Formats: sequence, C-alpha cells, structure tokens
Amino acid sequence: MILTLRRAVLAVVVLAAGGLLFAWSGLFNVAASTGHWPVTAWFLHWVMQNSVGTYAMLTVESPPDLDDPALLPAAAGHYATGCAYCHAAPGEPQGDVANAMTPPPPRLVDWLPHTDWSDKELHRIVEHGVKYSGMPAWPSLLRPDEVWGMVAFLRRLPEMDPATYRTLAYGEGETPPTSANPDFDAALADCARCHGVDGAGRSTVIPVIGGQKQPYLAATLRAYAEGHRASGIMQLAATKTTAPVLDLLAAHYAAARPAAASAPAGEGAPDPEMLAQGEAIATRGVPNRGVPACLACHGVDRPEAAHVPHIEGQHAAYLDRQLHLFREEERGGSPYWKVMAVAVHEIEDDEIAAVAAWFARQPRFGAPGTAAAEPAPEAGG
Amino acid sequence: MGSSIGKRRLARRAAAVFPAVLATGCTGPQSALDPAGREAETVAHLFWVMTIGGAVIWVAVLALAVYAGGLKRQPVSEAFAFRLIVWCGAAIPTVILAALLVYGLYLMPELRPWTREAAAEPGLKGHVTGEQFWWRVRYDLPEGAVESANEILVPVGRPVHLTLTSPDVIHSFWVPALAGKMDLIPGRTNRITFTATKPGVYRGVCAEFCGESHALMALTVRAVEPEEHARLIAAEARPAAVTAGAGLDLFIAKGCAACHTIRGTPAAGTVGPDLTHVGSRPTLAAATLPNDQAARERFLRHPDAVKPGIRMPAYDMLPPAEIETLARFLGDLT
Repeated sequence: MILTLRRAVLAVVVLAAGGLLFAWSGLFNVAASTGHWPVTAWFLHWVMQNSVGTYAMLTVESPPDLDDPALLPAAAGHYATGCAYCHAAPGEPQGDVANAMTPPPPRLVDWLPHTDWSDKELHRIVEHGVKYSGMPAWPSLLRPDEVWGMVAFLRRLPEMDPATYRTLAYGEGETPPTSANPDFDAALADCARCHGVDGAGRSTVIPVIGGQKQPYLAATLRAYAEGHRASGIMQLAATKTTAPVLDLLAAHYAAARPAAASAPAGEGAPDPEMLAQGEAIATRGVPNRGVPACLACHGVDRPEAAHVPHIEGQHAAYLDRQLHLFREEERGGSPYWKVMAVAVHEIEDDEIAAVAAWFARQPRFGAPGTAAAEPAPEAGG
Repeated sequence: MGSSIGKRRLARRAAAVFPAVLATGCTGPQSALDPAGREAETVAHLFWVMTIGGAVIWVAVLALAVYAGGLKRQPVSEAFAFRLIVWCGAAIPTVILAALLVYGLYLMPELRPWTREAAAEPGLKGHVTGEQFWWRVRYDLPEGAVESANEILVPVGRPVHLTLTSPDVIHSFWVPALAGKMDLIPGRTNRITFTATKPGVYRGVCAEFCGESHALMALTVRAVEPEEHARLIAAEARPAAVTAGAGLDLFIAKGCAACHTIRGTPAAGTVGPDLTHVGSRPTLAAATLPNDQAARERFLRHPDAVKPGIRMPAYDMLPPAEIETLARFLGDLT
C-alpha cells in the first residue's frame, strides 16, 4: 500500500470520526472507582509537573522569609479547616472520602519529602489548584501573602510532631466559655484557634481584634462572608456560620479585653528615625502626595467613627500588609474601605513600613486602662 | 498706562467693523475678546492688529493672484523676474515680519507686568496652586495668610500679584477676560500680575492638559470695588459660620476632616480644598457644578461621576439623611 496525501487525510478523518463515535457511545469509563491506568497516571502527572514548573517560573514572585514562625499559626489553622481532610496531618489520618478519589490526594506528611517542589512551585499549586484532580484554588487570588504562609507551613509539615501541629492548628488549649447558643460556641471556638478567645491574635500576621469597634468587626465579618474582602482564610471561616452568629462574634470580640501583650516576637525595636517618620505620617500625613494624617480618623478619641478601626497597638506586620492591599485597591471590606484606598493611594513602601511600626508601638486599644476600653463617650464635639 | 485708552478705542473700532453676528460668541465671562483687565486688553489689542493685518495681506495676495490670472501669457525679462523675487519674495515679507516682531516686542512689557515696576505696585498678593483637578488659593494679607479654593476675589483697579506652582503635574492658569496664560510647574514658582478694570465675575480654566478631568478644572474670579473687596476678604478671613452641630459631627466622624479644613473647628486636613466658606462660593467642584443642595448631595455621593479621576472618595454608603445633613451643613458655611 502506498502512502498518498489522500489516504493520509482519509485516515485522519476516519480516526477523528471513530474517536467522536467512541466518546458519544459513553463506553469510555469516567468512574473514579477504577483509577487511572499507570500510563495515564504517569502522563497526567508529568503534564501537571511541567505546567507547575513553567508557571511558577513565569508568574510567582520571590518568597518572603519563610522561616518566620509568625506565618505558621494562621496557615496551620487553615490547613486543619481546608486541607487536612484530604491530605492528612501529623496525628490525623486522611478522610475516607479522600481515599476514594482519582487521583487519590497524597498524604503530605509522607509525600512531600519524596518530591522536589521548589517554594515557588508549591505556591503555584496552593494558589491556583490543579485541574482534573480535585485540588481547589486558594479562595482569594488577591492574597499571595497568605499562600506563602501555607508554603512555610508545608515546608515544616514532614518533621512536625502531632503535639506541635495540634498547638499550631487548634490553639494553646484554652477552653472557650459556653453559652446557651451552641452555634455561637462552635463558631467562637473556631475563631479562637487563631485569634484567641480574648482576640489578642496568636501571631503578628493575625490582627488583634479584642476591643475593636463592634460595627467595624460586624461589617468586616459580613464583608468576608459576602466575598467583599479578600482572604482565603477568613472568607472560608466566615462562610462556615450564619449572619446572626457573625454579629454575636463581633459583639463578643468588641467586648473582649486581651491582656496587654509584651512586644510580640518578630517585632524588635525599629530605629528611631523610622519611628519619627511614622509619627509624622500619622499626625500630619504626606500632604503633597494627598495622604491625610492617619490620626484624623484613627485617633484613639474617635469612638463616633464607628467604621474606622482602632489601629493603635495593632501588629506592624498586619498593618503593613493591609496598607499594601489598600494601596493596590485590593483590600475590600465594609463600604468604607474605598475611603482608605483613596487616602493611601500615593503612599510609598518605606512610609508604609514606618507608619505601621509607629502604630504598633502605641498603647494598644482595648487593653485595660486605655481610652478605648472605657464606654464610648457621647459622639460629637 | 496712558496708551491703553487709545488701544481700547482702536480695539472697539476694530470690533465694530467685524460683523456683529460673528462677534456674539466672543463676549461673556470667559472671553479674551471681551477684556476686563489691563493685560487682557493688550492681548485683545494684539489679536485685532494681527487679525486685521492678516486680513489685509490675504486680500492683497488674492487680488494679486486674480490680477496675474488675467494677464496675457508672455515671457518676462530676467531683470523683471529678479526684481519680483527680491521685492515680493524677500524685501516686503522681511519688512512686514520685522514690523510685527518689533510691535510684539514693544507689547511684551505690557503683557508681562511682573517684570516691570508694576510688580512693585502695592496690590493684592496671593498664591495659587494647581492640583488635579482644582485650585488652591491663598491670600497673603498683612494680617496673615487666608486659604480658600476655586475662587479668587480681586479688587478693581489694583494689581493682583499671584505666585503659581503645582505639586503634581503642569497646569496653566488662564482667566481670558483678565490676563494671558501662565503655567504652574512642579518644582518651580511662576508669577503673574493682572489688574481688573471692570467689576464682574470671570471664569478661568486650566489651559494645560493635566489629566482625566482637565476640562473640569475651572475657577471663578470675582472683581469688585476695593471697599467691597476689603469687606469680602475680611469675611473670608473669619472662622466658619457654623462651628457645632450634627453636620460638623458627621463631617468629622466620616473622615472628611482628614482632608478638609473648616477654620474654627477641629477639621484641619490640608489635602483637599479649604471648606471654611464653601457655602459662599458661586460654584462647586472647581466651577463644575452650581453650588446648591442637590449638587452638593450628588457630589458627596458620586464625586468620581462628576469629575473622573478625582481624589475625593465616594460617600455613597452613607444613608440619604446623613448625605442631606452634610450637604446642608456645607451650604451653611457662608
């Protein structure tokens, strides 16, 4: 038989038609119960590895310091909520349903040491998920910083003993008080894993919320639940309960009085020049670039500004991240967030660092003995 | 300026020969052809001389062309061609252009009074900053500086000396009825001096493209007799008419005070326009909206819809009652 162009074209057409006929017949088995042939599994995995490697190189920015222990509690808490069921955790087996998936999600504790993913590649997988595998994307694509926290956690996961994991993911073993409302009790226990029952926050990337203004907290939780504020961790957490419970949680944390913390780990004394710059921005702003004084709205004596949060004594790392999100117009939040986005539109990186450092060193709101801990005086003046 | 009377008469006579139908669009509060200031009169004068001169040349050239078209076709002598080229191609244009140049140079001091003794004449001193997309105005009075925005009060018959600059991009200050243009350039201080000759309200614009809402960056200049001016400036220097109440409380609670000053109250922001007497200004948003309750409410809710690219955040999340209270409060700041 001689290969002619005509025959080659005919062969392609017949093959394509045959393929379509096979797909139409429904004889191809998409059942997860049968698994993949080894060659299919190998091929799909090979394609995935290539794709992750290429996109990690092209799209993922350089990681921050992943040895920072402040990154771990929030990531561990989120891992326990969203990841451990399929991927297992130190001292926790995989869920039964996970084992019935095709491809089966790997037990990360055992699997990660046998892989050579770079930090950027892990970031790519965690942020964007993997098609045809059941691996979802991070709930918000505006928060690569949260994903880096998860990468830092994954790096330590293989060596982590069950006790360390439990402490990181479920808190320091404090027992939340119980009330007549079991939904609220369950939700508070969930919040407390990262924020503590008193709202002090378990690391510098988790904000202090104990003693924060109630309307601000309520509007923020609603914004997370409705997808108006970007956070893979908090959007998931806020949708696990109902709107009335969110309001109860806001009231609980507004009334909470966290113990005045000593300077949190990782927030050593910044240099005096930086603090002076931060104070100047807080009190006078950067008028020639349209940045107003922070204290005009965030002053401690402003209880009437109900939707403007207290930030005195807040963690510098948290403030720094939020200011960047505001400046890039990605922060979201209550409808007032756009006012803040305009205010810091022209602020520069070093100014953000300075003003965050200065506010972090002010007497903390809500702590016993500060103005914000007293009942709000009459608005006006 | 003894010659200005004669120039004005010439300008008036020139205007009279122009068909009235063409000239109707040339009057009003924002026309260089309807001057109400000494410098603008010089500009108008220059315009008419150039226009009439240009018209004469145009008619002469066309007449020559028509005449040449009617001539019998025959070769001209080399000497005639040489004379034609030398006289019509070189000599006459040189004389005309030189005359216009000398005339322009002669007018220059009048167009730039800040370079002459007029700069030393006592008058109103002030500072204007062009910002995207409004005008920060500061009167430098003997008693101290008084800040305002988007409106300049000037005395008739007295020179106004303004220093001009910008913190963001290049703008240009142009009140056509009163003076020529002067740019506002970041990192540089320019000066302009002008003298209003007729009382009235004149409109100025930004005459250098400065961004999305460049076309909405205007201002009003109100020229009044000196006694009236002294009274208005004294009123401008006073603290706000309203220094307590629900409106001010909202103004502070909602963050307005972070960017705006209302003298006599805790509101001391310097990012946006001074609002101490905003209720007495004829317009809102840099001569973009009338200053009435409906316009103030609309501007508070959707400033970006009124002026794209504006730095003022939208307050559409406030309940209507609060917007109304705020807008009424601003209107009461006379």
